[in-house]
Amino acid sequence: MKVIRLGFFQMAAAMRRDMMLFVSCFAPILAGFFFRFAIPFIEGALTDRFHITAIISPYYKLIDILFAMLPSTMFCFVSAMISLEERDEKTAVYLFITPLRKTGYIAARFGVPSVIAFLATIILLPVFKLTGLSPLTILLLAAGGTLQGMIVALLVLTISSNRLEGMAVTKLSTLTISGAVIPFFIKSDIQYVISPLPSFWIGKAILESRSFYMLPAFVLSAMWIWFLFKRYLRKI
Amino acid sequence: MITVENLSFSYTKNPFISGMSFSVSEGEIFGFLGPSGAGKSTLQKILIGMLRTYQGSCLVYGIECKNRTKNFYENIGVDFEFSTMYEKLTARENLRFFSSLYEKKPRPVDELLEMVGLGQDADKRVADYSKGMKSRLNFIKALLHDPVLLCLDEPTSGLDPANSRVMKNMILEEKAKGKTILLTTHNMQDAAELCDRVAFIVNGKICALDSPHNLIMSKGAAAVTYTWVGNGEHSASCPLEQISSDERLKSLIAENRLQSIHSSEPTLNDIFMDITGRTLL
Repeated sequence: MKVIRLGFFQMAAAMRRDMMLFVSCFAPILAGFFFRFAIPFIEGALTDRFHITAIISPYYKLIDILFAMLPSTMFCFVSAMISLEERDEKTAVYLFITPLRKTGYIAARFGVPSVIAFLATIILLPVFKLTGLSPLTILLLAAGGTLQGMIVALLVLTISSNRLEGMAVTKLSTLTISGAVIPFFIKSDIQYVISPLPSFWIGKAILESRSFYMLPAFVLSAMWIWFLFKRYLRKI
Repeated sequence: MITVENLSFSYTKNPFISGMSFSVSEGEIFGFLGPSGAGKSTLQKILIGMLRTYQGSCLVYGIECKNRTKNFYENIGVDFEFSTMYEKLTARENLRFFSSLYEKKPRPVDELLEMVGLGQDADKRVADYSKGMKSRLNFIKALLHDPVLLCLDEPTSGLDPANSRVMKNMILEEKAKGKTILLTTHNMQDAAELCDRVAFIVNGKICALDSPHNLIMSKGAAAVTYTWVGNGEHSASCPLEQISSDERLKSLIAENRLQSIHSSEPTLNDIFMDITGRTLL
């Protein structure tokens, strides 16, 4: 455990030295304030202006889903960027032949950030949520969001070979989150075209208030992570 | 200390290392010599537990490399040919971080930095180091936790003669302390100077294994070349073991007409070419 902790602290120190990564970690809090306070204000202003009862509020659930995925996506993005830098500098190779080894490295770079992301979501979501999410739903959303963050990180690490490519791939990888949007806008069966994306089922679960839709989200996430993780292990 | 038996490994369907067997004793400097792509680095990766899908047996301190545990790395120090440092950190910060990963009490960082002439640059970012400085820093990183087995990959590569000498002296000091050292190189001078035994590796196979001295003496006989003046300058040579039967040389010595005489032994590189038909580079 000591080496994993040291390995994680090393990543945290690297993050502090990089302003972009440092700010990324606090992005969920900034976004939370915006979602919680600015969006209802904008909604009020728009409905007054256009004399309509609701414009954004039907999508508050969607905003809550996106917010639930934000901490893990950001934390895992940071950890993926640092891992790519360590791959470039070949420090990762060296860490594999220290008592940290490959398993400790993976735990320090993905395990610990994912747990922190999960806890951060559990803490932040009740503070910044726009809808009346139950504690169970918050827990499920936090778990789903954490798995989604791991998928984004693994996509970045398996597809890109350096930090620059990683930045570009991150933008594409976050599209996997967009599956949550589909059930809100496409009501016909064609929405199931996106069903291989775990985020689709998370969107469906929250929109229709049916927690059991989280099950396919978890199963699909596990499959994505297993597939990507195998590729990642081959690459390092 | 290290026992390798019938080791085979492949990256693809074709074997890359095949049927390799050798052993390394405690306190020995053992060199792997071979051209690029011969399998030296792959062999080193197997020995340090980085590649575990090999066939055969590869025991380091009685531990099968593919089954290595966390403690395995407490006793192994590796100096890769390339820099493995955090570029944004200073040399001191790098060494402190890496030494913190071991349970053993680390060797004093400042002392190690001074030994390789980096004391003045300890607080400089590694990104600002030259290639030679990075190479020296990499080397002392392998010594931080005072390992009993050192795996050095081209440790003198990119170094000027003075720093190369410092490094070689440090390697010999480690040997004097009883450390076992695996030296991967295609620098035959380093190998001849440092190694107790060397293995010539070509196409994933060991072509020869012996001490540099024995290899040189067994394959290439030393020759004696001499010159004399008499109706112009002349030169001739004969094998060292046939010197007593060279009548011309005997008469030149008797008549005191020799201008010069010297013996020349073949180099390890000559022997390598003789055995493998290839050059080391």
